[in-house]
Amino acid sequence: MTATLSSESLSLGTDAEARRFGDIRDLLPNVHNPTPLVRVNRVGTLAGVETYLKLEWLNPFGSVKDRAAAYLLAGMAERGDLDGRDIVEASSGNTAIALAALAALAGKHLTVTIPDGVPEEKKVMLRMLGAEVWETPDDLCPVNHPKDGAIALARSLAASEGGSRFAMANQYENEDNVRAHYETTGPEIWRQTEGNVRYFVAGLGTTGTITGTGRYLKERDPSIRVIAVEPHKGHRLPGLKSFKEAKEPGILDWDIIDEVIHVADQPAYEITKRLHREEGLIVGPSTGAVVHAINQLGDTARGIAVGISPDSGSKYSSYFSDVLGDDGLPKI
Amino acid sequence: MTTQTDRPEATESLDTSGLLCPLPVYKAAMVLGKLREGEVLHLTCTDPGSLEDIPAMARQRGDVLLASEDRGDTQVFWIGKGAS
Repeated sequence: MTATLSSESLSLGTDAEARRFGDIRDLLPNVHNPTPLVRVNRVGTLAGVETYLKLEWLNPFGSVKDRAAAYLLAGMAERGDLDGRDIVEASSGNTAIALAALAALAGKHLTVTIPDGVPEEKKVMLRMLGAEVWETPDDLCPVNHPKDGAIALARSLAASEGGSRFAMANQYENEDNVRAHYETTGPEIWRQTEGNVRYFVAGLGTTGTITGTGRYLKERDPSIRVIAVEPHKGHRLPGLKSFKEAKEPGILDWDIIDEVIHVADQPAYEITKRLHREEGLIVGPSTGAVVHAINQLGDTARGIAVGISPDSGSKYSSYFSDVLGDDGLPKI
Repeated sequence: MTTQTDRPEATESLDTSGLLCPLPVYKAAMVLGKLREGEVLHLTCTDPGSLEDIPAMARQRGDVLLASEDRGDTQVFWIGKGAS
């Protein structure tokens, strides 16, 4: 790219090849700037299957949600939703972190309603980014209301006072979330595997990743199997949702999903620990759930499996300390 | 107008007019969390859902609904802070 020289300063533009960026937003992923695909060599134990993880935590704001947040915000701006309004969103953290950073860059403020059980690290990060954090119990509304109190609260903030204060990004219902993955994650995986991906595996949460990526990959090759990972009811796997207790997002398209693999907390945390220790992959617990699901694909599974690694382990040290017990402490 | 009992003297007042459920519940719980046992929150709501939600919230939290008035467009509650 070109450098702009004025009488007072030299301004270098973005040059992706030189890995020099004029604005953090220029680092957002796309088919020309994909997140890495890294092979899992020791923990992916299924014979005949090559397991790769797409390391979404190497996105500029630290998670797969950077993609959705960028598209959600762009869509809101395009529709005029942000004229005179700030942003409200329900999020278990990652979407909110990306939204808070992107909103601040756009001169907007984020209010986030956050469910029970979100690690302290994420809440502090949101406040560091200038967001206002409303911690919300799932059973907030005592009468005739489903779980997902954080979503209900975000909706009520957006609807109250005639809708004049807040616009809701609404990642659970907003097709821009799906489009982000259809236009970026899907093409990246197709290109990075040279069209040889056989299994695409992602956790169920807002479901934008699995719906958008799965849709793109199925359009390229309908025989690619799209596998969803769902935790059990009452689970402790942040970012994932069990639809036995949470409402299904409006953007979820079951037609794209070939199989749902249910994963319990303990094996997910065990695999997460092994990914740290044997692969040097410092991932969050939902990645452990995804790799555990890939390892359950069955004896007849063959070829390349790509799993989404949504975020890194750095946001979950408070969770991991529970899982570790006295592991790693001196035995006296 | 429905009056459940006489109006108690309030320690704190919270007006949630214009806010939709669950915002009144959320804000009321926040204020009640800061009160001491026996102190009273005077709460004004305009969301019709509050007629059910606020008494249920008070029960769940161990607080006491001392009085309520349904004034049509507005619902008013007096909630005594229970023992935490």
